[in-house]
Amino acid sequence: MDWRQIGTDVWELEPRDGMLVPARIYASQELFGKAESDRASQQVMNVAHLPGIVSASMAMPDIHWGYGFPIGGVAATDVEDGGVVSPGGVGFDICCGVRLLTSGYRLSDWEARGGQVMDELSRRIPRGLGKGAIADAGLLKAVLERGAAAVLEAGFGTPRDLDRCEERGTSSGADPGHISEKAFRRGRGQLGSLGAGNHFLEVQLVQRVFGEAASRFGLEEGMVCVMIHCGSRGLGHQTCTDQLQTMASAMAKHHISVPDRQLACVPVDSPEGERYLGAMAAAANFAWANRHVLAHEARAAFAVAFQTVPEATEMDLVYDVAHNLAKIETHLIEGHQRKLCVHRKGATRAFGPGHPDLAADLMASGQPVLVPGSMGTASWVLKGVDGNPAFGSAAHGAGRVLSRKKAKARQSGKTVRDDLESAGVAVRPGSVALLSEEAPYAYKDVDAVIEVCSRTTLAEKVARLIPLGVVKG
Amino acid sequence: MRYQVLDHTADTGIVAYGVIPTELFENAGWGMFDLMYSLSGLDPVRDVPVMAAGDNLEELLVNWLSELLYHAEVLDLAFCYFTVDRLEEGGVQGSAGGVPSASLDLRGPPIKAVTYHDLAIVENPDTWWARVIFDV
Repeated sequence: MDWRQIGTDVWELEPRDGMLVPARIYASQELFGKAESDRASQQVMNVAHLPGIVSASMAMPDIHWGYGFPIGGVAATDVEDGGVVSPGGVGFDICCGVRLLTSGYRLSDWEARGGQVMDELSRRIPRGLGKGAIADAGLLKAVLERGAAAVLEAGFGTPRDLDRCEERGTSSGADPGHISEKAFRRGRGQLGSLGAGNHFLEVQLVQRVFGEAASRFGLEEGMVCVMIHCGSRGLGHQTCTDQLQTMASAMAKHHISVPDRQLACVPVDSPEGERYLGAMAAAANFAWANRHVLAHEARAAFAVAFQTVPEATEMDLVYDVAHNLAKIETHLIEGHQRKLCVHRKGATRAFGPGHPDLAADLMASGQPVLVPGSMGTASWVLKGVDGNPAFGSAAHGAGRVLSRKKAKARQSGKTVRDDLESAGVAVRPGSVALLSEEAPYAYKDVDAVIEVCSRTTLAEKVARLIPLGVVKG
Repeated sequence: MRYQVLDHTADTGIVAYGVIPTELFENAGWGMFDLMYSLSGLDPVRDVPVMAAGDNLEELLVNWLSELLYHAEVLDLAFCYFTVDRLEEGGVQGSAGGVPSASLDLRGPPIKAVTYHDLAIVENPDTWWARVIFDV
């Protein structure tokens, strides 16, 4: 294929065969080679067919093969010029994202009580398949309407938490009327649960900080933190499934064709587009609330293990940010402010300093950007910067490099667990067998991904964290 | 052979086989749940009627599998027995038998959803096959 390097760590392919804009990948030579080794780069090209797409179909440095969009895909469509919204640009796990909490504890505290913390977390955090929830199902209706604010009112978390959530933990435009009975039933027993796959709750240590933004975010070297990665669970999966079922006929009505049915889309400014965005926002509200409840429970677990009250744990929210969402945002395109539908499929919103959507105390620094690594390797906190070339987006993780089948064939789950424990990472898996699919060797080097983010002004380094313990589905 | 596992970087998939389309649908259901649990030797303790609509065979297969996932999650079942009674234009009707999922160990990650990515259903002279990618 005729990809050419147009700048440091930037690769581009001119439009061809129905592409409306170029395809662009932010990656080092090595990471780009990995993107070309499976079908991820083709998926970036496919997304360039979406009606109304502007600038380029983009992919972040952690790009890998997904379904429809690549994982790491970013695409913006012009709402006032027939731009579409595609459920495939959001994914089934609507508003999957990451939340990071500080703590008042240091490594010596962890060495003294880490085992109790892990046991308490393991006991309290529902994970794996299906049911098992912290919060009462009776909250579900309010949660779909108001997200994290609804569970805060029910006694979970603190008011300050909302200040440190993207959209204050409540997606605007939510229409629970478009959440089906099936989706509702799937969500009933899952409010406050991790799920499985690559989702986790990890206890981490701030190994190194870069610049003064770290202290603005409440981070300092040697601090124990908690990172939570999960999404909208069965309710979100069913909502996407439901919406896709009606997309084929809607696409025919709007005379839209796309190279992959999983890229099904409808104009944002159409009844079908409004219906999808209303349902998506309601499912996103479940995800904000879900992470909020899990964080509450993590505070409780630390408090029990350290024989204190949750308030004394100093577990403050650094930030909660989604990486599977479509949002209506205003961006400057060729000198004009345009209303865009920005899809981030496995990409993290990364707004720079002064962005009006940021809380007042983040205006000077820019938005915290949370990038979890693979199990057993580092995770990163970055910050949004001026001049981000990807509609205010950055990477969302390390990015897989080995298929689950190949990862599983390499080592058993028990070996992976033993290796992690030997390396000082306490592991509390829901299923030991599943650990092998999420082993560190199944992922790219997260540090290499972060270097590309930094060199291409997608985001700037703030802190590197290393794992102390992991709770997985 | 009922199905084979496909390699996919982030997700997972199967190629299912069947002599006739109804068997193809049954084996696709088997393959999807066999990715999550080891189904061999399990005897179902509960049957659930399963129905799905669709405008073509591809939609019917995706919607049939999606319905199976839905019932499995809300009923906490691992399905291990699949029967398609009717497969015709516009609809598929059958049943699935399962055991409580809590009684089993997962051997693969729970499947979140059935995708249309790379979906294919092909009729050969003496068999049918279908390729399906799942989000996990």
